[in-house]
Amino acid sequence: MAARPTSPHLSVYRVHRYTLLTSGLHRISGLVLSLGLIVLVYWLMALAAGPAAYAHAAALLGLGVFKILWLALLAVFSYHLCAGLRHLVWDTGRAMERAHSRASAYLVLGASAVLFVGLALWLLGRGHAS
Amino acid sequence: MAEFRLPPNSRIRTGVTHKAPDGAREVRTFRIYRFDPSSGENPRVDTFELDLADCGPMVLDALIRIKGSVDASLTFRRSCREGICGSCAMNIDGVNRLACTTSLQDLGREIRIYPLPHMPVVKDLVPDLTQFYAQYASVKPWLVADTPAPPDSERLQSKEDQEKIDRPAACILCACCSTACPSYWWNSDRYLGPAALLAAYRWIIDSRDEATGERLDALEDPFKLYRCHTIMNCTDVCPKDLNPAKAIAEIKKMLVQRQS
Repeated sequence: MAARPTSPHLSVYRVHRYTLLTSGLHRISGLVLSLGLIVLVYWLMALAAGPAAYAHAAALLGLGVFKILWLALLAVFSYHLCAGLRHLVWDTGRAMERAHSRASAYLVLGASAVLFVGLALWLLGRGHAS
Repeated sequence: MAEFRLPPNSRIRTGVTHKAPDGAREVRTFRIYRFDPSSGENPRVDTFELDLADCGPMVLDALIRIKGSVDASLTFRRSCREGICGSCAMNIDGVNRLACTTSLQDLGREIRIYPLPHMPVVKDLVPDLTQFYAQYASVKPWLVADTPAPPDSERLQSKEDQEKIDRPAACILCACCSTACPSYWWNSDRYLGPAALLAAYRWIIDSRDEATGERLDALEDPFKLYRCHTIMNCTDVCPKDLNPAKAIAEIKKMLVQRQS
């Protein structure tokens, strides 16, 4: 007899359900943030290499395309922080009933949106003030 | 490892369509996964149009109706039709549930029915649960005690101790939770899965059991237990409203607490 087929999984499961959506976004945002570290390391190396190198890096990172990247990373950071806190609460065994995990999924999505907008406005305001 | 694509022998073809009879009043479309091991062909998805005016209220009623009057070769497990045997667990409209307790009224005009996800398929909606049962057996789901039982009575426990195991002991082993878990999809060869871990927890916290330490030792493993990443699909889908995710979190806590 031929090998048994594997039943479909990702292609049929409801991936936009609150459980898979928040967990998947948490993983993807963690991955994106670790890639974003490359930029941070570049900035720190320029900082350590002296005023000329820093001025060059600051000019480069101040380009419009990088400003969009900062905003994107800020959004990703806001989500990853809120979702990470939810995981910390879960690790204590709390708020794990179905109704609670469903409510906290929407709470995390809402809170991370608020955090992102707040941080973005604050940073943009500082940029104009200086 | 995570294999996102189905292997070549598992990719799905378009199957046949069975039209509703003329004069049907309340037509619903069922798209149902079919696999015939004797044909040598890949699985396919058949379409059945069914008149609900002519059918019972649950998804299981529709399946029985199809088997009885449209295609007798449609194969699925079922027994109690009241959510206690766990036989008719399947993926209905993208979520794992029991066909017998899922009302057709709660679903849309088109209903997609697949076997439990990422399992070897025996035929149509019947998955091979051999490994799932072996994992359950591996947690020794029975009372382990060196102390002999009292000669004139059973092993008694307090009402409070009994209440701790009320919910975990109500598991019907339908496999909805384990086969809803992406960690189980990618690592079912080494990760025990929510159902087996819920069973392990049920015995770990049983006040009459004397093998708590050995049970925790057996689970202290990067894969058997710690592949759980709290995705919460298990608790989301449990048709008995049990909480495997919480049980796993409590086991993880016990493993940390006993180190101090």
